[in-house]
Amino acid sequence: MKVFPYPRLRGTVSLRVDAARVKAPEQPREQLDSRARSVVERVVALGLAETENWETATLTVSATIPSKATERGSPWSDVAVVVVLADRATNTRVTSMLAPESEGGREWRGELQVLRADLFDRATMMVQVVATVDGVPGRIIAEGVDDWIVDVRSDAPTREQAFDVKEVGFAKGPRWLQQFTDAPWIVNAAGALPTVHINTDFEGMTDILGAEGRGPEGLVNEIMVAQMAADVWIAVFHSAVGDLEIEDDGTPLFPHGWQGEVLREMLPDVVPERTLEDALCEVHSRRVGVTGWTELQPRIQYAAMRRAEVPRVFLETARGLDKLKREDEA
Amino acid sequence: MTDSPYHLPEYLARLADEDAVRFITDGLLSGKDDVPTIAVNQAAEPLPESPRWRLRAIRDLIDDAMRTYQDNKPTQADAWLAPRLHSILRLTRAEAADPALWNYLALGVAPDFVVWRHLSEKKKTVNPRYFKGPYHKQAFARLWWSAELFRNGSDYEPVETACGNQDMLNTVLRLDVIDHRPTAQALVRLLKREIVRTGRDANALGKAVNTAGATLMYDVIAPDVVRDANAVQRWIGEGDEGLVMRHRSLPVGPAEERALEESIERLADYFAELFADAPVRGKGEATEDAEDD
Repeated sequence: MKVFPYPRLRGTVSLRVDAARVKAPEQPREQLDSRARSVVERVVALGLAETENWETATLTVSATIPSKATERGSPWSDVAVVVVLADRATNTRVTSMLAPESEGGREWRGELQVLRADLFDRATMMVQVVATVDGVPGRIIAEGVDDWIVDVRSDAPTREQAFDVKEVGFAKGPRWLQQFTDAPWIVNAAGALPTVHINTDFEGMTDILGAEGRGPEGLVNEIMVAQMAADVWIAVFHSAVGDLEIEDDGTPLFPHGWQGEVLREMLPDVVPERTLEDALCEVHSRRVGVTGWTELQPRIQYAAMRRAEVPRVFLETARGLDKLKREDEA
Repeated sequence: MTDSPYHLPEYLARLADEDAVRFITDGLLSGKDDVPTIAVNQAAEPLPESPRWRLRAIRDLIDDAMRTYQDNKPTQADAWLAPRLHSILRLTRAEAADPALWNYLALGVAPDFVVWRHLSEKKKTVNPRYFKGPYHKQAFARLWWSAELFRNGSDYEPVETACGNQDMLNTVLRLDVIDHRPTAQALVRLLKREIVRTGRDANALGKAVNTAGATLMYDVIAPDVVRDANAVQRWIGEGDEGLVMRHRSLPVGPAEERALEESIERLADYFAELFADAPVRGKGEATEDAEDD
């Protein structure tokens, strides 16, 4: 919990993208239809645009903030609602001030324009509420609970999970998978997104993958999925600590993207009771140092199992089997 | 010493990360071996044969930098090279975000420069991230991006100032706060005014400004003008028509509007206050340059 030296606005701040359009020079602007947006996943897929070589995209956005922000007698003045689009790959940050829609000051609306040439693939968009507090202008008094993703390449507005799942027959699949035909699944953490390749050639795999409910196959399905997830967490943890950026004084830095997210999630279980930065230093020095890396492995497994909810699933499986047995006996 | 490639194709290419690692050997990192030029070019994926991607002019510029600064510390070449590299290698930000382009420059075009510039005297080796690494570390990406983020519209002078301090490049370049132009310009101004002098000063200032940025929105205090959709496109278009690059005078960047003077000044004043209160390692000791390998 962060402590702020000034009063912050409590309550929910939310952001929506209401429309998106793109424009290429000397062509009419194209309004993207609603399939390009997912309000549930909070993603805009600009790859759906039919205009080739569009140069600018304009997003119509709206935000809802607690009415307390603009109530008379509040500690805040000059309240502004600002949408921020950021792409870390291109070091690009675009901001736009929204305008209040109504007297109450809850609904704010505006547009944000961004250049295609400034975005690599995915940018994030968030909303912040800014005000003058105690005579200090520009204080951030609240931010949106969830961000949006603006994807300039994809034609489907999906956020994707932390990892990708591909079902593929290994025997006739990509060359590097052919060497693993006797494995039910393989995790690859090298790419832009970690991927579980599930071997559909493996006997019984398709049945178990499709199984649901509390029957024996359903129980096996759940425990298999949990085990796969644990494998993914272990693989991505190793991949992330294996490729750390190190400061001149030897301090490791948190990476961007999913590698950073994975480390932040797992480190409290791997090196408990330490700050994230200290924990990362500890893990790094054990990995590159003389000793301690081997001893750390059980903790990495433990952290992965917790993320993958192996303990819960295992308990439920055991209870489920017990119940099936009793039903058989009855 | 690692030599310049004996064969240079006419155009630049891309070398993917997984291919680049093969060529970053201990022999190269210690400056003893050359890069196998033919193998690098076989693994690389060619870029379109347009004048913008011609690599001869880039190689000439790098040669000039090494010749000009042969009797100085190689770190001093940064301030000279950054604006000129940016001006000759005309890229959109989306293109510059592609690590494969930088990998190729380091391994296919000028591995000798990377060794010359970044061989650590103490460790007798080059940190591999100068060949293949993040934008704020890789030997050419760091120069290009510092020029992109520290230029004020078409004016590269702030880039020279920023790159004259190794900690602006090593620490401040990677901070998200400088993605806001008036913030980047205000930081340079404190260097220019010698309020901030040493590497440690710059480091402390960067950290203080970044920390304050967690509760203050600089974009609101110090607004910037809207980015011009056409200026960079026109500048890149000129590159596609072919460029004649003069090395001696400071080049002129894309004809974008400058950041608002009022915004820069307001932040510069504020940052000077922050800096006055910021803890600086070894403050008051004799000034020294940051160690840079």
